[in-house]
Amino acid sequence: MRTDVMHAVRLARVDLKLLGRNQTAMINVVLLPLIMGWLFTVTLGGEQLAGVSMTLFVLTGLPGVMLGFAVFVHLVITFTARREELVLKRLRGGQASPVGILGGSALGALAIWVFQVVLVVFWTNRMEDDGLPGNVPLLLLGGLLGVAVFALLAAAVSGITRSAELAQVAVLPVVLLIMVASPVLMPLSAMPAAIRVVAEVVPVTPVIEIMRTAYVGRDFFDYGGQVMGMGEQWVAALPSIGILLVWIAVGTLLARWLFRWDPRHG
Amino acid sequence: MRTTQAAIEVDGLRQGYGDFEAVRGISFTVREGELFALLGTNGAGKTTTMEVLEGFTKARGGQVRVLGLDPHRQRRELRPRVGIMLQEGGFLGDLTVAETIAMWRGMAADVGRRPMTDALALVGLEHRAGTRVRQLSGGQKRRLDLALAVLARPEVLFLDEPTTGMDPEARRDTWKVIQDLKAEGVTVLLTTHYLEEAERLADHLAIMHEGVVHTHGSVETVVAAAGDQVAFRLPISPEALRARTGDGLPFLAGAAPAAVVAGEVTRVTYTLPATSSPDGAHAALRPLMAWAEKCELPLERLEIRRGTLEDVFLRVVGDAR
Ligand SMILES: Nc1ncnc2c1ncn2[C@@H]1O[C@H](COP(=O)(O)OP(=O)(O)OP(=O)(O)O)[C@@H](O)[C@H]1O
Ligand SMILES: [Mg+2]
Repeated sequence: MRTDVMHAVRLARVDLKLLGRNQTAMINVVLLPLIMGWLFTVTLGGEQLAGVSMTLFVLTGLPGVMLGFAVFVHLVITFTARREELVLKRLRGGQASPVGILGGSALGALAIWVFQVVLVVFWTNRMEDDGLPGNVPLLLLGGLLGVAVFALLAAAVSGITRSAELAQVAVLPVVLLIMVASPVLMPLSAMPAAIRVVAEVVPVTPVIEIMRTAYVGRDFFDYGGQVMGMGEQWVAALPSIGILLVWIAVGTLLARWLFRWDPRHG
Repeated sequence: MRTTQAAIEVDGLRQGYGDFEAVRGISFTVREGELFALLGTNGAGKTTTMEVLEGFTKARGGQVRVLGLDPHRQRRELRPRVGIMLQEGGFLGDLTVAETIAMWRGMAADVGRRPMTDALALVGLEHRAGTRVRQLSGGQKRRLDLALAVLARPEVLFLDEPTTGMDPEARRDTWKVIQDLKAEGVTVLLTTHYLEEAERLADHLAIMHEGVVHTHGSVETVVAAAGDQVAFRLPISPEALRARTGDGLPFLAGAAPAAVVAGEVTRVTYTLPATSSPDGAHAALRPLMAWAEKCELPLERLEIRRGTLEDVFLRVVGDAR
């Protein structure tokens, strides 16, 4: 276990170094979600929603979009490309365990995502009067659970993706769901019924609801927008945390079933 | 000091892919400190066997043990003690050679091994330390791969075609690296298509074809089975020969002559049967000499060639087909 963590940290640092040397990935993974966030705030800013400005609403939903890019898309492409290039197989022939190898990439993705969230916090703080997060522990917990879910889903999806080129296509449905069927841009209550049904179950919804509530200190679970104390926030977050734990279980099963180390097998 | 304990045991191993059975019940043992070469045709199942022993896949049937452990179930325990060089393994192409080595050294240190400090020098790649791995040539990549496999000072080393794609000098250097490791007591299981490599390095070897081991034993006993070759030329056509001698060429130690006519000369070869006595060829030649004397025929360009591993390989595979 301890060596798994040491290996994962080592491999995560290598992953970040490699990301720095890969401009395409830099743009797709780091820059794109930030540009999207900027576009959203520019087009939607000004209005009020559930007691907060639309700008604050969108910015606090942005970490959900970033989960899609920095974690999900990034890891599907990484896992698929490395499997096809036999890198995963070579690593598995070395000292690291499967948990260390996959955990390393997941940890690298977590680092990218945290970095982006920190940028968003600075950004929010510049745009809004009271722009710093209120309940940091809850915010972090929501984020960590979200990263875990999307890393596991990425491992599963990479297993049924034949090449790195196909990976760009394979991730589209999930990216689309995150953009349309999640409370990034609008509360669930404002969605058409059909989309709302989907939004209720996708894992990005509880992540955004937890993080937004923790950030602003208002109720964004049912969009009443009442001011909530720390304790109330934790209690209100419990069902969402439950949904994410279920997703982690589902993701683990899917990843175990679908993930492939070797292009030759399966 | 050589112990006789088994480092690798394979007993009735079966493995396949879907309906296809790639390895059909093979058995062999590699003792501690020994070098065992697995030879065979393309698709014989060598890599498949290695992948079971490396713990990548679970055997369908039979028993395998590496250092007394089940390589698949007890992979975690085994991993620090084993070095693996795959037939084809990938690298992170954007890392430099030095960064790649550093990463692997770090991972070895994390599990409590004392990694080599001179792994790059060992494989002669110091001058490429700053090069991105994707820019290395095929043979250089192979050498880097070897460095990664040995850097944690493994007790058992799996080398799947370690010298494929290397130039003759690099191949010799690699042999030296392998021999030095063996001298330090490392057990090595290696596959190769270079029979000279096997003859030079191996203590024992096995020849596989279509999932079955057809021959195995010490290099000496396997090569002895090849039988020596006797060849010469007669400056006379077979008709003239028959007219002159009546009953033609003699049998040597029970081996029939094979004659090929080329114009006015006849080329003759004998493949002597395998014999355990080292003077087999000498004894077999006596009747030939007597015959030549009697017929007053010169044996032109007479040569006696020891049987080689290649002869055995071709015969084994030919028989199996
Ligand atoms: N994933 C797979 N699916 C189906 N068949 C496979 C798979 N991997 C290997 N095989 C088949 O199994 C057989 C043994 O393959 P293996 O790679 O073990 O041979 P090998 O002895 O290492 O050959 P070579 O000397 O060419 O490396 C081959 O016929 C190969 O086509
Ligand atoms: Mg092979």
